[in-house]
Amino acid sequence: MSEGRPDHPATVGELTDLLRGHGYLADRGMSTALFVALSLGRPILLEGEVGVGKTEVAKALAAVFERRLIRLQCYEGIDTNQALYEWDYARQMLQIRALSERQLDDEDAVDKLFGPKFLLERPLLEAVRAGDRAVLLIDEIDRADDEFEAFLLELLSDFQITIPEVGTVAAATRPLVVLTSNRTRELHDALKRRCLYHWVGYPSPEREVEIVLVRTPGVAEGLARKIVAAVNRLRQLDLAKPPGVAETLDWVATLQVLGEDDLDERSAADTLGAVVKERDDLELVHEHLEEIVSGA
Amino acid sequence: MPDQAPVVELLVAFGQELREAGLPVGTGDVMTCCAAVATLDPSDLADLYWAGRTTMVTRRDQIPVYDRVFRRFFLGQPDAPAGAETLKPAIRAATPARSVLEIPATERGESGDDEEVSLGLMASDTEVRRDKSFAACTPEELAALRRIMARIRLTPPRRCTRRTAPAPTGSRPDMRRTVRETMRTHGEPAELFWRRRRERMRPLILILDISGSMSDYSRNLLQFAHSTSRAAARVEVFCFGTRLTRITKALERRRVDDALDQAAKAVVDWEGGTRIGDSLDAFVRGWGRRGTSRGAIVVICSDGLDRGDPAVLAGAMERLGRLSHRIVWMNPHKGDSTDFRPSTLGMMVAAPNIDLLLSGHDLRSLEELAALLPELR
Repeated sequence: MSEGRPDHPATVGELTDLLRGHGYLADRGMSTALFVALSLGRPILLEGEVGVGKTEVAKALAAVFERRLIRLQCYEGIDTNQALYEWDYARQMLQIRALSERQLDDEDAVDKLFGPKFLLERPLLEAVRAGDRAVLLIDEIDRADDEFEAFLLELLSDFQITIPEVGTVAAATRPLVVLTSNRTRELHDALKRRCLYHWVGYPSPEREVEIVLVRTPGVAEGLARKIVAAVNRLRQLDLAKPPGVAETLDWVATLQVLGEDDLDERSAADTLGAVVKERDDLELVHEHLEEIVSGA
Repeated sequence: MPDQAPVVELLVAFGQELREAGLPVGTGDVMTCCAAVATLDPSDLADLYWAGRTTMVTRRDQIPVYDRVFRRFFLGQPDAPAGAETLKPAIRAATPARSVLEIPATERGESGDDEEVSLGLMASDTEVRRDKSFAACTPEELAALRRIMARIRLTPPRRCTRRTAPAPTGSRPDMRRTVRETMRTHGEPAELFWRRRRERMRPLILILDISGSMSDYSRNLLQFAHSTSRAAARVEVFCFGTRLTRITKALERRRVDDALDQAAKAVVDWEGGTRIGDSLDAFVRGWGRRGTSRGAIVVICSDGLDRGDPAVLAGAMERLGRLSHRIVWMNPHKGDSTDFRPSTLGMMVAAPNIDLLLSGHDLRSLEELAALLPELR
């Protein structure tokens, strides 16, 4: 509520409308969860299948509230140097060299070496400094390991960082923190308890059609319905990689680019790569292509 | 907030109900839920539902239980009849006579310190033979053997991780330490410090056939699983007969007898008949795809007598081979022979994806497994 940024919404419905205005269609559960997270100032953990819009919602929230989106992509072995801060060692060494050559007897020289000029800020530190002017997206936390989770837990509790040479940086206000997980690994209970939890599943067919119409303007409704129906049938096929909403949108875009205005066996066979991404799955889908594409 | 008191009481009671249904709901969670409901509309049922689900549920498989308790508590709908999902495993009382995983007490009394002494005694009492097949052992011999096995730990091989730690030599420079030292030598980096990649043990996954005669051999591997997981390596244990069951949780007990007892209760099918292919397929879909077996050593103990479709077994083994680091197959029929040729259809189908074939029919072969495991880099 400062510097002309949009106000915190008063009801869940308002938040849903705000998100819709930025192209994100959230269902009741998602909106409620986000509303509670905003109101209580707690982080929220979004777990779900691949490609259902977990990352998208963070981007939408940043757009809605005109906050900066700070993104931390997690991977195995990520540590404080990549996530928090790092010293610019090369510059420090050059500085030491320069100082010693000029034989400067400066008491503060060493202190200056660990000043802001030589500090490389990484996403988490940026988020702490930005406070409620940012949305912090910690993407795919399940790919990081236990040590990182423990460290993150501490951060999410206090929202302050102690840099030994500099001091403590505390967040005056908390950013909105969104964590996403594809469930390839079970997260530590302590981390889950710190956050609100929401499972993001596939949308209902009607909702998915809406999403397609909103996200890809210029597509005919009939085609959108056909594609959504086909994708839903694909999801029932027990594939190794079931298609998510992102794949649905890709399929629509692919057909649009190719100028196809109907989904039949031929056009489906041509564009299957946009929606089915595994060799074994492709074979299975080709066998059942007719029934997948047929009907509405 | 006197006017909020009834809502708070209601939510506390709801939290109690959830706890009784098996959800781990703490007081903090109930408090968060109250705070959440305070920002929403307490008279709106949907808001109540989502507020509770966001704060008191932490895993996807808890959602059906939450739904059920919510319906019962707020809407007064009775529970669906038997078969409703609960988080407490249903202990299907199979006829005890067919309970194949009966474990004679391995530990005498409470004191584990006497183990070494009693080990020596028992060993001489019953003349433990390392090369006697498990199926041919008496329960006392088995108990003795298991005491010996309790001392052996399976050590999975190590792999390089992406984290580094300071080391005297290595391939990556340790910038932080180098810069600090450089300051003492006026900007001249006199000595370079190094980092080396840390090593970590690979996870171990045991998939044990417990149908029919295989249970004799499998339960000994369970002993290994127990001691290895106590050693803090990442171990997952599954059993199968006609269906796959995950028993890792059940094995998390200090006393191995308790652990094996819990495991026996968790496994539900004693009907005989083996569906190796379907069980492995279930593993691949339920856990392998999610990355549980990534970089892991998978040890399958089975005789290869599959009643299911061999094509399913072939597909599952192939996928498993891609999803894990190495596959070790323990087939008691191999016995001591070194030029074992797979004779059952199941073994023939699975053979191309097996990295190491062992027998596991006697103590010596299990010791062999323990010795060979760290070598599977």
